[in-house]
Amino acid sequence: MVSRFDQQKTKHQLFHVSLSLATILICMTYMQYRRNWAHLGSFWDSLVVPIVFIGELLKVVLARFYGRIEDGVLTVKQRQKKATYFTPRELLGGLTLQFLCTLLYAFICIILGAPVLGNYEQTFVLALLMTLLTVSPTVFLLGGGGALQVCFCEKPDFVTKCEDTALNLFKYNALGGILGAWAGSVVAPLDWGRDWQAYPIPNVIGALLGSALGNIYACTHVLYATARVYMTKKRS
Amino acid sequence: MNFTYLFVLIWLALLISGGVLLFSRGFLLARVSKTETSTCRRLSTNPNDEYFLTDEVVNEVFKDVNASAHLCLPQKTKVIILVVDALKYEFGLYKENVKEPLPYENKLKVLQELLEQSPDHARLMRFRADPPTTTMQRLKGLTTGSLPTFIDIGSNFASPEINEDNVIDQIVKSDLPLVFLGDSTWTDLYPRRFKRAYAYPSFDIFDLDSVDNQIMKHLPKELASGDWQVLVAHFLGVDHCGHKHGPLHEEMARKLGEMDAVIRSVVEAMDNETTLLVMGDHGMTASGDHGGDTDDETNALLFAYSKQHRFYGNDTGSDSEMLQQIDLVPTLATILGVPIPYSNLGLINFNLIPEIPVPHLNRFQTLLLHVWQNAQQIYRYFFQYALENKRTFNVDEMDRLETEFILLTHRVQTIYNEAAFKSFVRDLNIHLRDILSTCREIWVRFEPTQMLHGLLFSFLPVFFIFLLVNNSRPADYVRIFKAKEVFYTYLINLAAGVFGYRYYKNFSFKTEEHGVIFFTALASIVILAFHTLRHWASIVENWAAVRRFGHMPTRLLLFGSMAVFFSNSFVIQEAKMLSYLLAGSILVLSHELLRLSARVEFRNKLKVSQLLRSTALRLILASVLAICFIRFAYTLFRCREEQGNCTDFATSGGPGFSLKKPGTGKSYILAVFMIVVYTTLTRLYLRSCGNLTGNSANVLLARYGPTVASICAGGHVLLAHSSIKNIQRSHIDAMALVIYGLLLLQIVVVSVAPLMTFVLPPRTGNTVTINGNESIVPEIFRKMKRMYEGDDDVERRNAIPVVYGLATVYSSIVIAFGVFLALVMIVLLEPRASIGLVICVAVGAILLSVHGILRYRTATSFESCVQPTFTALVGWFLLAHFCFFATSHQTTLSQIEWRAAFVGRTTGLGQSNVISGCLVILNTFCGPIFFFCMYSLLSTETFSLFALFPNLIRSCRNNAGKADATTTLSELANEAVGFDMTRGELTLYEYEDVFLGANFKLAAQFFMLQGLKIFCAMLACTIHCRHLMVWKIFAPRFIYEALATFVSLPALIVGYLLLLRIHRAVDTLIKRINKTKVH
Repeated sequence: MVSRFDQQKTKHQLFHVSLSLATILICMTYMQYRRNWAHLGSFWDSLVVPIVFIGELLKVVLARFYGRIEDGVLTVKQRQKKATYFTPRELLGGLTLQFLCTLLYAFICIILGAPVLGNYEQTFVLALLMTLLTVSPTVFLLGGGGALQVCFCEKPDFVTKCEDTALNLFKYNALGGILGAWAGSVVAPLDWGRDWQAYPIPNVIGALLGSALGNIYACTHVLYATARVYMTKKRS
Repeated sequence: MNFTYLFVLIWLALLISGGVLLFSRGFLLARVSKTETSTCRRLSTNPNDEYFLTDEVVNEVFKDVNASAHLCLPQKTKVIILVVDALKYEFGLYKENVKEPLPYENKLKVLQELLEQSPDHARLMRFRADPPTTTMQRLKGLTTGSLPTFIDIGSNFASPEINEDNVIDQIVKSDLPLVFLGDSTWTDLYPRRFKRAYAYPSFDIFDLDSVDNQIMKHLPKELASGDWQVLVAHFLGVDHCGHKHGPLHEEMARKLGEMDAVIRSVVEAMDNETTLLVMGDHGMTASGDHGGDTDDETNALLFAYSKQHRFYGNDTGSDSEMLQQIDLVPTLATILGVPIPYSNLGLINFNLIPEIPVPHLNRFQTLLLHVWQNAQQIYRYFFQYALENKRTFNVDEMDRLETEFILLTHRVQTIYNEAAFKSFVRDLNIHLRDILSTCREIWVRFEPTQMLHGLLFSFLPVFFIFLLVNNSRPADYVRIFKAKEVFYTYLINLAAGVFGYRYYKNFSFKTEEHGVIFFTALASIVILAFHTLRHWASIVENWAAVRRFGHMPTRLLLFGSMAVFFSNSFVIQEAKMLSYLLAGSILVLSHELLRLSARVEFRNKLKVSQLLRSTALRLILASVLAICFIRFAYTLFRCREEQGNCTDFATSGGPGFSLKKPGTGKSYILAVFMIVVYTTLTRLYLRSCGNLTGNSANVLLARYGPTVASICAGGHVLLAHSSIKNIQRSHIDAMALVIYGLLLLQIVVVSVAPLMTFVLPPRTGNTVTINGNESIVPEIFRKMKRMYEGDDDVERRNAIPVVYGLATVYSSIVIAFGVFLALVMIVLLEPRASIGLVICVAVGAILLSVHGILRYRTATSFESCVQPTFTALVGWFLLAHFCFFATSHQTTLSQIEWRAAFVGRTTGLGQSNVISGCLVILNTFCGPIFFFCMYSLLSTETFSLFALFPNLIRSCRNNAGKADATTTLSELANEAVGFDMTRGELTLYEYEDVFLGANFKLAAQFFMLQGLKIFCAMLACTIHCRHLMVWKIFAPRFIYEALATFVSLPALIVGYLLLLRIHRAVDTLIKRINKTKVH
C-alpha cells in the first residue's frame, strides 16, 4: 500500500485540480464583475472562453513540467511521439479535430433543443466551451491522432505515466462539463423571469460548475487516497 | 393456460384506479347542488285574481319590506332569447372607418343601427362567462344562476337533466308557455318543459348550416303565432364555423351575416310588448375553440332591445358595460315576474329591464322591491347552504357578512326617496358581490378525507408492487399467485365491497362509492401485505442482490419526469421536459451499450474504415437519429396560453386572430408520406422475418390489410381537410370506416387464429438444400430444424416440417396488431399529429433495437435476457407519454380534440356518446395506448433481433481468442447467455414459466411507474391546492394524468392478453407438429 503511493503523482494531481478550480473561480469572478449575464452568449464580448483556454493550456504545461522528471525512462514509442509534438501535421490535425468537435457539439446542442434558425453565435460559444472543456486538453497534450486513439481505443502505449495522470483528471473535467451543461437546461423553463435564463447562459454556467464539481470529486479521491496512506503510515 | 397473472393484473389495476378515482372525487368536488325551489305570490293587475295589486297591499308591503320576499311583481313583457353559440363580444362591435374589415368585423350591423336609432331602447354589453366555457356548462349557468362546477366539463356529450331550481322551471311553473328552437342540449337539460320544441342535435361540428336553417324555417311561423311568453332560439352555426374554420375564414362572415338577417327579421316581427335578448354563451379563442378561461373565451356579447319601452337607465346602480352571465337569471325572472331561482347568486341588472310602471308603485319602490327580493333570495340560499355544509366557510367571514346583511335589513325599512334608494342599492350590490366572491373562492373546495384515502390507496399498491413484484424472480410468481388464492382474493374484495356499500354510513363516509373503494382497497392491501410477508425471505434475497446506486442516471431521469408535476413552469413546458428526459434515456442506453461492448473493437489502432463498419457507430447513429426525430417533434408540439408567443392564443381582439391552422399542403403530403413509409417498413420487416408466407388468416390480413388501410388513411387525410367542396361526406367517412373495420377484423382474427407462421409439410426422401447466410428466411429455416432435433441429426432432417416465421412468432403478431391500431389512431389524429405518432413509433423501434442488442450482449441467463433493463423500461414509459405531446396535444381543457369524435361518423352512423368518447380518448391518449399495448415487444424483440443479427453477439465475447471458425452460433450463444438463443422467440416458449412471469413483471413495473406518476400528480395537487394556478395548470394536468392512468392500465392488460393468446396458439402449433412427427 505504502509503496504504491506516488508523491509526484499526487502533487501533480493536486496542482492540476487546483488549477482547474482556479480557472473556474476566475471565470465566476469575472462574471460577477461584469454583473451582466447576457454577454456570456456572445463570442467577442465575453472573456470566459479565453480564460478557460488559458486554464487548459496551463494544465498541459503542468503535465509537461511533471513529465520532465521521467524523461529518462521513456520507451521508444513515447520518444517518437514526443518528437512529433510540434510538427505542422500534428498541429493541423489537432486544430481540425477541435474544429470538427465544435461542429459536432453545435449539432448536438441543436438536436437537444437549441434553436435551429438563429442564435448561432450562442450555440457556437457553447460548443466552443464544451470543446475546450472536453476534447481540447487531450488534444493539447497528445496531438490530434493521439487524442483520437485515446478516445476510441484501449490505452495506447505511447502515453507516459504523467500524461496518463493528466488524462484521468481530464476525464472528470469533461464528464462534469457535459453533465453540467446538460443539467443546466433544467432552469430554462422556470418562470422566474431572470435574465440569466436566456439560452446559453444556464448551459455555460452549468458546464463550468459541472467541471468544477468533477474536479472536486477527483480532488476528494486524491485526498482520500493520500489520507489513507497517511493513516496507515502513522499506524505502522 | 395461465390466466392467473391476468387476473392479478386486473386486480392491481382496479386498486390503483380506485385510489385515483377516490382522490379525484375529493379534489374536484365542487358545489353541493340543492333541490329546493323558490316560490312567490304573484301580485296581479287583474282585479279578479287573489293577490290584486291595490294601494292597501302596497302600504302593507312597505310597512315591512323584509316580509315582501314571497311577493312577485307582475310580468313586464314577453321575451325572445336568441342564443348565438360562441358569439364573441368583438363580433358585435362596430368599427367605423375600417376599410377592409376582417371576416368577423362589422357583420352585425343591425345592432349598431338599433343602438344609434334608439339608444334608450337598446343595450350592447359584454357578457362575462364563468369558465369552463363549454356550451352545456354555460347553459346551466345561464339558467340556474349559480357557479358552474369544475368536473362537469367532460360530460359535454351526455347532458343530464338539471335538478337544481332554474329559471326555465320557474317560467313553466308560472304557466308561461315556452317555445324552443335549436340545439338539442336544451331539451336534454330540460326535457318536457317546452310547449313546442324544435330541437336538433349539435352532434356534427362540421355542419355549419342545417340546425340554423331549421331554426330559420320555423322561426317566422313561431313569431307570428304569439301563443308563447318566452321564445328561445339557439343557433350553432357560428360556433361550428369557429371550430371548423376559425374566426378569420370567410365562412364566418357568411354566418355572421345570416345572424344579422335573423336579428333583423325578429326585430321586425316582434311586437311592442316583447323584449329581445341576443346573446352568446361564450367566446372563442383565436383558433376558434373554447373551454378555458381566457378573456377571449369568457367575453361573449349581449344585446337587448325593446321596441316600445325604454330600459331603466344607469341611475339604478347596475353596470351598463358588463353583465356577468349569472346575472341573467334574476334579470329574466324580473322581466317575466317569476320567482328568482333558489340557488341564484346573480344580481338584477336594470339596464336590461324595460321600464314599465307598476300601478300604485313609484319607480323607486318598484326597483326597491325587485332588489330586495333578489337580496333576500341570495341571503336565504347562501346562509342555508352554509348551515347545511358546516365548515365550508370561514366563521369570521360569515359573521361579517351576516352583520352587514342585518344592517341592510334595518336600513331597507327607512327608504322613502330616490336618493336614499340609490345609496342603499350601491351598498347592497357591494355586499351581494362580496357573497358571490366568497362563494367563488370556496366552491372549488376539497374533501380532505377522500383525498387522503385516494393518495393512500394509490400509493400503497404501488409500494407493494415494488416490494412484491419488482423484487421477485419471474419464475417465482407461480408460487406467489396461485389460481385459487387469486379467486379468494376476488371473493374477499367482493365481500369487502358489499360491506362498504351496506355500512358506509357507519364510518361517516359520504357516498357508497367511497365506502366500497375504501374497504376493497383496505382488504386488497392486507392481502398484498400478507403475500409480501409470506415471501419476505426471497424478496430480501433478491433485493440484496440489487446494486446500490445502480441505474443512477435512469433513476434521476425518472425522478425528473415525476418532479414535473410540482412546478407550474415545468407543467407548462412539459413537452420539452419530456423530450429532454427521453433523449436522456436514449443517451444513457447507448452509453451503456458503448461502455459494455463497443470499445473492444479496435484494440490498438484506430482505423476509419473499421470505425465506419462497426456496429457501435451504427448504433450511435441510430440513437442520434432518434434524438433528431425527437427534436423534429418540437415543431409538432402545440403551445399553451401560458407560454409566451403562442399563436394559438394570440392577443385578444384585433389583428391577433389566426386562421384555423390551415395545415399547409406540405404537412398533408408529409403525413401521407409518413403513413406509407411506416406501413412499408413494417411490411418489409415482417416479410424479412418470414411472417408473410403462407395463407393463414392473419398472414393474409397482415399482407393486404395495412396497404388498404394506409391508402384509406392517406385518402382520408387528404380529402377530409381539402378545400374541395363537392366530395360527398359519406365517401370520406367510408375510408375511415374501412380502417375501423380492419382493426375489428384484426381483433377477431387475433382472437381466433393469431399465428403468422407457415408450416411447410415435411417431404420425405427429398433433401432440402439450404444455402445458409444468404437471406434470413433460410437462416430461420435452419434454426427451426436444429430446434426440433436437439442436434444435427441428418437422417431425420427430412422428416421435420419447416415453419416460416417461427423465430419471430410472438413479436410479429404484436407488430401486425400495432400497425392496425396505429392506422386507426392516424385517421383520428389530425395530419400534423399523425406525423408525430409515426415519429414516436420510429423512436420506439430504435429504442427497441438498441436495447435488444444491449440486452443480449450483456445478459447472462435467459431470465435476465427476457427482462428489459431498467433504462429501457423508463425510456419506453417516457416515450409513451412523450407521444401525447408529439401528437399535438396539450394538457389544457380547451385543447381537447373533439373533432376526433366525428371521424367517419358525420353521416349519422352510430350517434352513441360511448363511441364518441372512445374515439376522443383514442385520439388524446394515442401514445400511452399504443405503446402500452405493444409493451411485450420490450422482452420479445431481443430474441427476434438476435435471430436477425446473430453475429452481433460474437464480437463481445470472443476477445480472449476463443472464437475459431468451427464453433457454431448456438454454442456461442450458449456460452454467452447460458442458453441457446439462436432459436429466436421459440426459446420463449420453452421457458414459458419465466417468459410469462417476466411479462407479468414488466406489466406490473409499468403499473408501478404509472402509479407513481399519478401519485405525484395527486400529491402536487394536494400541495398546491391553494395555489394561484391550481385550476389553470395543476388540476387539468391531474385530470389528464388520471385519464391516462385509466387508459394505460387497461392497455397494458390488453398487451398481456395479446401475449397470452399468442402463447396459447404457439402451444397448440408445437403440439400439433410434435404429433405429426411422432406418427
